[in-house]
Amino acid sequence: DSDEGSEELVLTPAQLIRSLEQAWLNEKFAPELLESKPEIIECVVEQLDHMEANLKRAKKGDLKVSVHRMEIERIRYVLSSYLRCRLVKIEKFFPHVLEKEKSRAEGEPSILSPEEFAFAKEYMANTETYLKNVALKHMPPNLQKVSLLKSVPKPNLDSFVFLRVLERQENILVEPETDEQREYTIDLEEGSQHLIRYKTIAPLVASGAVQLI
Amino acid sequence: VLQGDLGPFNPGLPVEVPVWLAISLKQRQKCRLVPPEWMDVAKLEEIRDQERREETFTPMPSPYYMELTKLLLNYASDNIPKADEIRTLVKDTWDTRVAKLRLSADSFIRQQEAHAKLDNLTLMEINTTGTFLTQALDQMYKLRSNLQPAQGAQSQDF
Repeated sequence: DSDEGSEELVLTPAQLIRSLEQAWLNEKFAPELLESKPEIIECVVEQLDHMEANLKRAKKGDLKVSVHRMEIERIRYVLSSYLRCRLVKIEKFFPHVLEKEKSRAEGEPSILSPEEFAFAKEYMANTETYLKNVALKHMPPNLQKVSLLKSVPKPNLDSFVFLRVLERQENILVEPETDEQREYTIDLEEGSQHLIRYKTIAPLVASGAVQLI
Repeated sequence: VLQGDLGPFNPGLPVEVPVWLAISLKQRQKCRLVPPEWMDVAKLEEIRDQERREETFTPMPSPYYMELTKLLLNYASDNIPKADEIRTLVKDTWDTRVAKLRLSADSFIRQQEAHAKLDNLTLMEINTTGTFLTQALDQMYKLRSNLQPAQGAQSQDF
């Protein structure tokens, strides 16, 4: 699907905000940290700064000014909420997030922005130091190591999520819950809403074929 | 604005705006709000009755019927004819739908279903029961996976 070379996505501002909202909702409802979307963030921040600059120059007390200001506040809220949601997941799953990023293949998209990556590393180092100083160094020598990768719980990819279908998908495999059940396939019609395990549809969230709700 | 074009704003002429703007302008007493077509006693009675009759979920006239009703009745009830009746009708319909949702969530868990299609549910309904449902399902999953016997751990002798 993606070709070599630069993939310049030219979105209208409306489409950009729509993408931000989609990324926000997906991040909110997905059990794991999703791909980072630096293009969206950069463009949104750029647009907001641009708007702010315009507003500073505009006549005060104009209705238009207050409408634009309200819209800016609304977009800022979504952006902050999105970034905060990611930080919560980074803190919650930090060893796994770092591990995933380290073992990422060349062409695969990153799940952490450079800033988030730096944050995660620092968080890990701080946690290790903290555990060492508060407890580990007081333990008998053979018990002074702790594997954060093993002790910090992984995201539960088997959680159930709600989704809406954006692009029709055929033959999605539904795995059985119990031993008595058998697996079956379903088709996802555009516009339909479903409740299903995250693991099955994770690639569809990444590709934008479905939206978590 | 970034998300689309607004206006033109001409006095006396109705114009479509996003709900957030409509509420804000109404609060500043700069306008009158026009309720959506379906916010009408006869139409809502029909919907309520259908909801009570059928076991399945009735398609609602707006995916945001609950939010719009709450907002409009809170901030612009003076612009809505028979506001109290409307409020009751929508609440009755909501109650019926949520009761149906609870029953079907219960059966989903009991029968350990792996998938459900919920086309005629609105986001408000999904998110009202959704968190509870997904967390309950996660708990069930954890309990079931722990039924697997633990890998040979030696017990201590006292």
